[in-house]
Amino acid sequence: MSDFRRSQNEAHPNKTNTLMLAIIMLLILFVGIQIWFLFGALNNALQDNIYFALTTFIGSFLLALASFWLLRYLPDPLKKSRGKRK
Amino acid sequence: MAKKESHDRSEIPAWKSDFPISEEQATHVNRREFAKFLGLLSGALALGNGVIVIRALAFPSKPLEGEHFVCNADEVAVGEMFQFEIRGNEIIPYILIHLEEGEWRAFEQKCTHLTCAVRYREDLGKIECPCHHGFFSADTGEVLQGPPPRSLPRLEVVIKEGKVYVREEKQDKTV
Ligand code: FES
Repeated sequence: MSDFRRSQNEAHPNKTNTLMLAIIMLLILFVGIQIWFLFGALNNALQDNIYFALTTFIGSFLLALASFWLLRYLPDPLKKSRGKRK
Repeated sequence: MAKKESHDRSEIPAWKSDFPISEEQATHVNRREFAKFLGLLSGALALGNGVIVIRALAFPSKPLEGEHFVCNADEVAVGEMFQFEIRGNEIIPYILIHLEEGEWRAFEQKCTHLTCAVRYREDLGKIECPCHHGFFSADTGEVLQGPPPRSLPRLEVVIKEGKVYVREEKQDKTV
C-alpha cells in the first residue's frame, strides 16, 4: 500500500539530495560565521574587550545549537531504511 | 534463524562497521558524516569562544604596579634603544627608547602581530618589526604600516635623579 511518504519520495526523487546540500551549505555558513567571531574575539580579548568576547560567545553558542538542531534533518541513509529497524 | 542472521551484513555491529575491510569503504566519507563533522566543528568553535571569555574573566590582565627601575639615564644615548624585562606573573620584554634629549619612550617589545621582537630603527625614526615589516610610530606606538593589528602597549617613563623608571600609563582612553 502506498503511503504519503512513499508517494512523496516517488514524486520528488531528488529531494534527499537537495536537502543534504541545503543542510551542508547552512552548516558551512554557520561554521564560517563562528570562525569570524572567534577570530574577532581573539583579537579583541587581547585589548581587554570582554563584552565583545561575551557577545561573540553567545552568538557562537547559538549557532552551534542551530547546527546540532539542523543535524536532526539529515535524511536517513538509504541502506538502513531498506533493512529492518530496531 | 538467528544464527543465519548473524552473517547478514546489517547485523555487523556499529563499531565494526567503522573498520571495514576494503580500503574504498574505509576512506569514503559520505555526506552524512561530513555534515556531522561540521556540526562537531561548530560545537568546538563555540567552546573555543567560551574559553576566551572564561580566560578573560578569570585572569584579567593586571596593570603594572609601582615604578620599576630600568637603568641610568646616561647609559642610553640619544637615538639608542635599551632592552629590559619586567618580571611579574610572566616575564615581559620591553624596550626603552631615547628619542631626543629628554624624550623617552617605553614599549612592550612583543609585536602585536605574531609577537616577534621589535626594535628601534634610528635611521627611520620608527620601530620596526623585522618579521613581516610592520612599522610602529616611535612616538606613540601606533601602527604605521604592515600587518600588526594593534599599537604597541606603552609604559610611562619617569626620570628621577638621572635614573630611568617606568610605570603604567594613566588610563585616559577606554576601549
Ligand atoms: S610579527 Fe611583527 S609584523 Fe608579523
